[in-house]
Amino acid sequence: MAWYNTTGNESGIVLSTRVRLARNSEDYPFPARLDAGDREKVCEIVREALSDYTDEKLTYRKMSELEPYEAVSLAEKHLISPGFAYETQGRALVLSENEEVSIMLCEEDHIRIQVVLPGLALTEAWEKADKIDSVIEKKINYAFREHLGYLTQCPTNLGTGMRASVMLHLPALTGKGAMRRLSTTVAKLGLTLRGSFTDGSEGAGNIYQLSNQVTLGISEEAALQNLSSIAMQIVAQEKQARALLVKDEDFIDKIYRSWGVLRSAYKLSSRELTNLVSYVTVGACEGIIDVPSDKLIGAVIELQPATLNVSQGEKLTENQRDILRAQKVRELLG
Amino acid sequence: MICQNCKKKEATTHIKRVINGEATESHLCQSCASTLGVGNFFDDFSLNLPDIFSGFFGDSAFALGESRLDRCEKCGCCFDDIIKSGSVGCADCYEKFYRKLLPSVQRIHGKAGHAGKVPVKNTKKPEVKEKTMEEKIADLNKEMEKAVSEQNFERAAIIRDEIKKMKGEN
Repeated sequence: MAWYNTTGNESGIVLSTRVRLARNSEDYPFPARLDAGDREKVCEIVREALSDYTDEKLTYRKMSELEPYEAVSLAEKHLISPGFAYETQGRALVLSENEEVSIMLCEEDHIRIQVVLPGLALTEAWEKADKIDSVIEKKINYAFREHLGYLTQCPTNLGTGMRASVMLHLPALTGKGAMRRLSTTVAKLGLTLRGSFTDGSEGAGNIYQLSNQVTLGISEEAALQNLSSIAMQIVAQEKQARALLVKDEDFIDKIYRSWGVLRSAYKLSSRELTNLVSYVTVGACEGIIDVPSDKLIGAVIELQPATLNVSQGEKLTENQRDILRAQKVRELLG
Repeated sequence: MICQNCKKKEATTHIKRVINGEATESHLCQSCASTLGVGNFFDDFSLNLPDIFSGFFGDSAFALGESRLDRCEKCGCCFDDIIKSGSVGCADCYEKFYRKLLPSVQRIHGKAGHAGKVPVKNTKKPEVKEKTMEEKIADLNKEMEKAVSEQNFERAAIIRDEIKKMKGEN
């Protein structure tokens, strides 16, 4: 089962946790200065190194062999970066069956190990990424210097090369207009907060990503600890705000209306679904309505345009997708 | 409006990003925009573009053209290339251009050195820079703690004396 269809800690507010490590080989220039042929060589070397990782089955795929909509679907699910979906030459992806582990080869760095887990699970995600890293390290001569740590193509990732993030669902804080102040506050603490699941604008579906900014001069554990404690404070604030919000009859009306649209719409766009699910999830978490909110959150991921194409095995028109999306949601809500 | 990057062509791509409540605007011409990989508006993986324009490489980003002849032997990259692309060429570039890169690195991360995981098979370990006295003492302190934990008190005592000497105490 894919990770997004399972439940984790604080799952009504913390949707998922992601840890990614940036690594490079000492023996090759960074990907931007390699041609497609050399990038392929790097991919093969890492593939070989990963054969020693036996905890779970990993699949290796050359990006150039994917259909464009398959590649975009991977980006929709945040398994790869959007750029990785469009420029596919000399690049490869290693993916675990439940999609918890995704390793991009020759993206911005030679190796980008990513682990995604449901709910708040920073330590678990780091430990898994660390383990995979240690397996690769046995075969690859990592670019590393004592003072600068792991060397990366972009100096923003120097040091641990670790970017950890939690995806937060914050409808109540957003409704209160608290997000701007909150993001300014976390910036002072070395973290970044920004809208997630967006197509240009901010915070669609009231979903945000909180991540560490500084990677040099701080250990992985300390950075995770810092991120975790700030995330927990935001979760507590969201809970407080929700407790007030659910006494507001206009908001209750919004929850019921969203539920009504999800149950009876003939067509639903991806964006509309994301926004409606946000309200319905709050209703479910606060015990106002009885809906399988975890499944709905999974549906937000699975019913994105390209991912829907992949599940149907063909490229649908936007209109076809909107009809199919609404149908799937109706089925889900019985 | 003129492109912020090449300062020659007309800017046709205008990007406004709001991160941590701070808005940054970039105006680029078509060719610079595509070189810099702009156009993936839902990209939440890399932040190269705002990095470049929010003073990532500081004033040096707009003072190009001085050092094209000074190139990294391994990848052929010069410091101008690094500034323009926002990406470093290879591991050796970090040594070759260390002094020039340092201010940018410190602006992002502060002045401390790496404090995280170290690869076990760390075959090539050239010192990137001369360590300061404080760093040397910190290293020795670590070594002393290690010696104590291994119950090698004799060695710990030698290191302790060494630290004292460095601090100018007797």
